[in-house]
Amino acid sequence: NMSPTRLCVPGDKLCSVEDCIMGTGVYLRHGYIYSSLAGYVLRKNEGEELPVISVVRETEVQLLPDVGAIVTCKVGWKPGRRGPLTDLFRGTISFVQVEMHRSFRPGDIVLAKVISLGDVQSNYLLTTAENELGVVVAHSDAAQMVPISWCEMQCPQTHTKEFRKVARVQPEYLEA
Amino acid sequence: MAGLELLSDQGYRLDGRKATELRKVQARMGVFAQADGSAYLEQGNTKALAVVYGPHEIRGSRSRALHDRAVINCQYSMATFSTAERKRRPHGDRKSTEMSLHLKQTFEAAVLTELYPRSQIDIYVKILQSDGGNYSVCVNAATLAVIDAGIPMRDYVCACTVGFVDETSLADLCYAEESGGVSSLALALLPRGGQIALVQMDARLHQDHLDTLIEAAMTACKGVSKVLDQVVRQHLQEASTLQE
Repeated sequence: NMSPTRLCVPGDKLCSVEDCIMGTGVYLRHGYIYSSLAGYVLRKNEGEELPVISVVRETEVQLLPDVGAIVTCKVGWKPGRRGPLTDLFRGTISFVQVEMHRSFRPGDIVLAKVISLGDVQSNYLLTTAENELGVVVAHSDAAQMVPISWCEMQCPQTHTKEFRKVARVQPEYLEA
Repeated sequence: MAGLELLSDQGYRLDGRKATELRKVQARMGVFAQADGSAYLEQGNTKALAVVYGPHEIRGSRSRALHDRAVINCQYSMATFSTAERKRRPHGDRKSTEMSLHLKQTFEAAVLTELYPRSQIDIYVKILQSDGGNYSVCVNAATLAVIDAGIPMRDYVCACTVGFVDETSLADLCYAEESGGVSSLALALLPRGGQIALVQMDARLHQDHLDTLIEAAMTACKGVSKVLDQVVRQHLQEASTLQE
């Protein structure tokens, strides 16, 4: 996962030409590398001796999820389709092993993994077929529901149970 | 002659500012979704709107294309309601053409045009309200618009119009001061490197005062650059939080 580091503006001195190789969005002057765009500084090690330094604007492609990336998404409202999700970008859960209405409801927050980037027509293809993937947050009509097993969640106020494919979240990520 | 004193004995100007004080600068980036880059900037009562398109293929005559870099095409115009008396000819008059040329020269110094051979970058600036320092406000607005468009530049381009009166340099002139017999000079600066992109003056000034005036202009430009920097950083922050 790439988290962009610091903001920079045109004319910011980033580093010396001896520390990094120039990527995009930068220029060279008197032995130093300066930013030529307003955006985020990105340092990537690409197998060469020195890392490549570039400046990207927030809408750049580098920040799109790749195959194998785990994304957090919200289930959208499109009945009759294969449970499309919206991330920042739209995706579709492939539900070969899973029954839609017993796994997700619209409005759920789900951890999914990207299995295909899709092409021009289709969206990202996502899967929740692992233990750590699935619903993380779900709301009933009253309140936020609590997981009681890998396939059920319960509302603490009305005590109604609903079927969900629950993600097994690592203990350190759970709030105290 | 009572009344309009450009600089009072206590050191106050017509609008209550001190000699080195800039007018209040307020700006917003990304005001138009359709253009590649846009910005709106107010400096005191002077208001300007800048819109940038490009880089894209050369429109019109291919012969104007440069084989190794981009052509920068600027157009300066004033809204008919921008001045006290309705302007009859908003663009195409000599002043506008001269301004457009100055803007072009200014941005050719800052934009990394070598990255886009055989293409064209269009910068359109319109003055919505004119209260002095038109060229400088246009440059500042256009800088923000070019940054908004993601076109690479060496540095910000910051400009300020300064004048000399009573042995003092006045920074950021308003219209009353410009037309009140002050020798005015406009300077566009790349603040980080201290490089001057353009100097323009068509008044009369004794050469002994030139250095002082240019110094005052450079200091004023650096002040403007701080404000523009804040605007850009805030815009970046807002854009990134919207994405999350």
